[in-house]
Amino acid sequence: MINNILENIDMRQLGKLLQHARKQRGMTQEDAAKLIDASRTTMIAIEKGDRRLKPGELIKLARAYGKSVSDFVRQRPVVEAFDVQFRAMYRRNGDEEEQIKPCIFQLEELCQNYLELEQIMKSPLPRNYPPEYVVGGMPIEATAEAIANQERQRLGLGDSPIGMLRDILEISVGLRIFYLPMPGKYSEIYSYNEKLGGCIGINAFHPEERRRWSLAHGYLHFLAHRYKAIFDFENLKDQYQRMPESEQLAEAFSKYFLMPTSSLLRQFNERCQANQGGKFTTTDLFTLAHYYGVSVIAMTLRLEEMELLPHGKWDNLKSRGLKIRKTQQDLNLEQLPQRSDLNPVHYQYLAIEALDQGLITEGQFAKFLSVNRLEARRIAELLREYSSEMSEEEGNLDLRQNKNDEQEVYAN
Amino acid sequence: MLIKNSHLLIDTCCLLNLCASGELLNILQVISISVQAAIVEEVKQELQKIENIEHFEIAIKQNLLLIVDFQSDVEETAFINYASEIDDGEAATGAIAINRNWAIATDDKKAAKFLSQESPYLQIVSTPEIIKYWSKIANIESSKLSNVLNEIRVKARYCPDKNHSLKSWWEMAIIPNPLR
Repeated sequence: MINNILENIDMRQLGKLLQHARKQRGMTQEDAAKLIDASRTTMIAIEKGDRRLKPGELIKLARAYGKSVSDFVRQRPVVEAFDVQFRAMYRRNGDEEEQIKPCIFQLEELCQNYLELEQIMKSPLPRNYPPEYVVGGMPIEATAEAIANQERQRLGLGDSPIGMLRDILEISVGLRIFYLPMPGKYSEIYSYNEKLGGCIGINAFHPEERRRWSLAHGYLHFLAHRYKAIFDFENLKDQYQRMPESEQLAEAFSKYFLMPTSSLLRQFNERCQANQGGKFTTTDLFTLAHYYGVSVIAMTLRLEEMELLPHGKWDNLKSRGLKIRKTQQDLNLEQLPQRSDLNPVHYQYLAIEALDQGLITEGQFAKFLSVNRLEARRIAELLREYSSEMSEEEGNLDLRQNKNDEQEVYAN
Repeated sequence: MLIKNSHLLIDTCCLLNLCASGELLNILQVISISVQAAIVEEVKQELQKIENIEHFEIAIKQNLLLIVDFQSDVEETAFINYASEIDDGEAATGAIAINRNWAIATDDKKAAKFLSQESPYLQIVSTPEIIKYWSKIANIESSKLSNVLNEIRVKARYCPDKNHSLKSWWEMAIIPNPLR
């Protein structure tokens, strides 16, 4: 008689997963019960973990929920449901729940996948987390600038523009950052729990300068309001009648983190000195915004605040019909360096290594990357190209060994 | 490639390669001389989600590819057990093949290793074996064979692993050589 893993599986956990999948599919318990010729009370018992499922029932439910059976039965790290953390936000923005919930589910799923890949590869994501900054009762602007400067120092960034912000936060800090397709008005989702650490979802549809701003904004939530799950609108004024201090701080932090006062002042002066009559032109404004990887409006408002441009300059430029994209094209400003993949780079390398070592199947690899198999094969080729053409032996060689030891390893 | 079983259950990764060859129907026809090719429901669902899969639907309509599903509690139980280790398509393929004593076609390293551990008697063939068998039986010219392998290489982005027993055959055959 063949063993049945459903006899030994954690029924409560399986029940939770089934309930989660059913809700994601928008089905009632009654709908689900009909699929397996059972009553609603039986379905309730299954989801509570009080009634054991038969293999045929699980297959029917998985197919109806659009899920793989493997999603329910393979050993995955258990993580706290993100949805629960956002309940307070749903209550405040009741209408938003339906729109943002699928994105929150997706972020949770991807973060859980990340943890699973780390376990498969026995390679946990290194964390370089500072203690949570204490910000209560402190003046917002000064606090935001102080944290921005401390973080720049901690991460060895000096006061230069930050090139690949996403990579820095993923690799140097150890945050889990995913670029998700989201409805246009949302900019970012932030969540934290002990097992996963800081998790950020950024709206993949936004332009890179906006995504960088959202990343910096989300980073401040991690630094100063670590345990509070948040989703933010692109325009916070549409989200809050009165913007909470936590959001004001996050906005101020983004500005100081991406455009540090010292270097911005220097850059501004250099540009003025280079122009006849010490002028600061529209071209300078655009190139400076591009240099720091921020939007033209963010740069203009920052320069206004620093009293380097007169107050109301942005409104003035707008009323004169300034066309941002057109001007950027005319100035031949190249696209900002960016990595717009859904998944973090470390996540992708864990997945390809797991595939190449035969630890996951091609189907599992495709699922980890949220693409079909053909696309998965294209990505696999790219990842293999990037990870050089080293042989397996070379790739696993401990470079700290001395020359004689190395020769022995090669001889073996 | 001598298949001793009545059916050959083809896994997604292998079927993708055969579709990319542009010769799926001809290959299945040649295979059908000795064995009935089939796929599980999970593989069908997965393939249907991918655009431009050549001749796949026609192969089903012409019964060159049979669609099979679980027929017993034993198969369903085996599927659930395997799905805790490998993906659904591979798990269903393995569960049905092992219980019905059929052969399988897969190129997946983990699936092949896992399923052979589950059933040491399971016959597993791969894309290169199928293509080599077809080219021999159908007496395919070297230039055409080279085209087919290139199509698989380009469209399905597949080439055999460096440890595959037919790796050198593949590398020779993919180069067009009018003298062969």
